[in-house]
Amino acid sequence: MNTAAQLFFDAASLGGIYAMAALGIALIFGVMNLVNFAHGQYIAFCVFALIVPSTDAVAVMFLGRAPAFLLIPLLLAVGAAAAVASEYAVFRHLRKATPVAMMISSFALGFVIQNALLATYGGRPKAISLWPELNTPVTVMGASVPLLQLIVILATLTVVAGLALLLKKTRIGLEMRAAAENFTMARLLGVRANVVITGAFALSGALAAAVALIMATQTGVADVRMGGQIMLVAFIATVIGGLGSLPGAVAAGFLIGAVSVLLQAYLPLDARPFRDAFLYTLVIVSLLVRPQGLFVPSSAKPRV
Amino acid sequence: MSRLGVFDVSVRYGKVPALTDVTLHIGEGERIFISGPNGAGKSSLLKAISGAVPTAHGRIELDGDLLTGRPPEAVARLGLSMVPEGREIFGRLTVEENLRVGTGIRRDADAVEGDIAEIYRAFPILAERRHASAGALSGGQQQMLAIGRALMTNPKLMMVDEPSLGLAPKIVDQVYDTLVALQEERGLTLLIVEQSSVRAGRVGGRMILLRGGQVVGEGDAAAFADKDALTEAYFGKTGKEAAE
Ligand SMILES: Nc1ncnc2c1ncn2[C@@H]1O[C@H](COP(=O)(O)OP(=O)(O)OP(=O)(O)O)[C@@H](O)[C@H]1O
Ligand SMILES: [Mg+2]
Repeated sequence: MNTAAQLFFDAASLGGIYAMAALGIALIFGVMNLVNFAHGQYIAFCVFALIVPSTDAVAVMFLGRAPAFLLIPLLLAVGAAAAVASEYAVFRHLRKATPVAMMISSFALGFVIQNALLATYGGRPKAISLWPELNTPVTVMGASVPLLQLIVILATLTVVAGLALLLKKTRIGLEMRAAAENFTMARLLGVRANVVITGAFALSGALAAAVALIMATQTGVADVRMGGQIMLVAFIATVIGGLGSLPGAVAAGFLIGAVSVLLQAYLPLDARPFRDAFLYTLVIVSLLVRPQGLFVPSSAKPRV
Repeated sequence: MSRLGVFDVSVRYGKVPALTDVTLHIGEGERIFISGPNGAGKSSLLKAISGAVPTAHGRIELDGDLLTGRPPEAVARLGLSMVPEGREIFGRLTVEENLRVGTGIRRDADAVEGDIAEIYRAFPILAERRHASAGALSGGQQQMLAIGRALMTNPKLMMVDEPSLGLAPKIVDQVYDTLVALQEERGLTLLIVEQSSVRAGRVGGRMILLRGGQVVGEGDAAAFADKDALTEAYFGKTGKEAAE
């Protein structure tokens, strides 16, 4: 078996998930300086939207029963709607609040969503079966990889390219980039704050839904806690990438994915359970060396 | 009816007053200079008019439409455009993208390309750098871009805050020549903050003098340039900070 290829597919697919989650966070941070810690709960919310609300131990598929060509756009819309609704209910009232106050509210929102899920679905993880055939291995370049990994990599590339096109080629994209750089100036030029912020939340929620689909397929579990871990990694990716920088978030997501796969593969056996400790040590080192983020080009700074 | 009417407007930052009961009127097609020492409240006046800071008191109207209480994006839709102090161009966007940000509010979408061509004719250097990131432009080029960007909203009234700040005198000449030419072509109404009364006098127009957040004088800019009223405003009894 080809180990290098195997590692590559592992790294790229894990990194792809991190990159998509990190993009969801960076998009919102870009336009309103909010680190939205409820992002992980958007992911969990989308996973549970796949099954019928009930506290029974056995999950009955709900949205998850729809064929893929319907399910994918439907769940992306659910994610977008959830994120937009939370902006409307919570963050809209905090536009003039300090970034710290907004961040704390996002924690609170996350707890509210998580507890609502607990109340509706119960606390025990449930087995779900979404597209199980995607976990069958296929052989590529001498490596045996689950079909899902290839799909994740393709999906990430599609999402990143689509987002880049949207930001570069559309009116709302131009307005979002302008607002991310200087919100007041964009508004002085007629850019509507509400439109840009709603747009950012919708995209962010759709990205959460994409991550939810992948995680549900990959793990075969619906668990109210499942967004938390990935949110942490994604947040770290946005910081390492340079807060608010979208290319930075993608690059850092892939980097973290690659480093954790490499650590998992090459750490001595005894040290492997502590992989995350090594990973976070590297994170700290990277922040000490480049506090502004690894991928922030110095040419981005306007000349005075 | 005047184009812009400012009635008894006050602005406060917390408890600190920046403008107190300012009243002024600008007619259609007029060119007005606002002058006064540092901290006089010139920028605060422009920000209050554009909706970037809230007014504590008073009323502002553009062609009879009430601006007070509206967010900046709504004020922009009513025909007001701003070239802010320090230019505030979008450094990560290209030159042309900067020009296009403000075109979303225009009802005459088919005139946009023609207007961009016109900006490029007025500022050929911008055409040359159209695909370069705006952050890489020099200060003078950024000022031209900020003016072009404000014009692209097709405003009735354009406000320019200290266009000469940090620019070489030759560039300042060029910026003012273009501003005056554009105004004449388009019948634009112009409100310009300019600390140098000599400069304002040379360009010509009406001058309003602010100090300590209040209007302390008004008249022809050329006459003001050598009047002692200005000297007094700068170096008067309590005006020491301005001399530093
Ligand atoms: N964001 C702010 N918060 C608190 N005080 C402010 C703020 N902006 C301006 N001020 C204060 O309000 C007063 C008026 O400031 P403003 O910027 O309007 O003056 P200005 O005439 O434009 O000065 P300059 O010539 O330096 O640009 C000053 O005392 C200033 O310190
Ligand atoms: Mg000022």
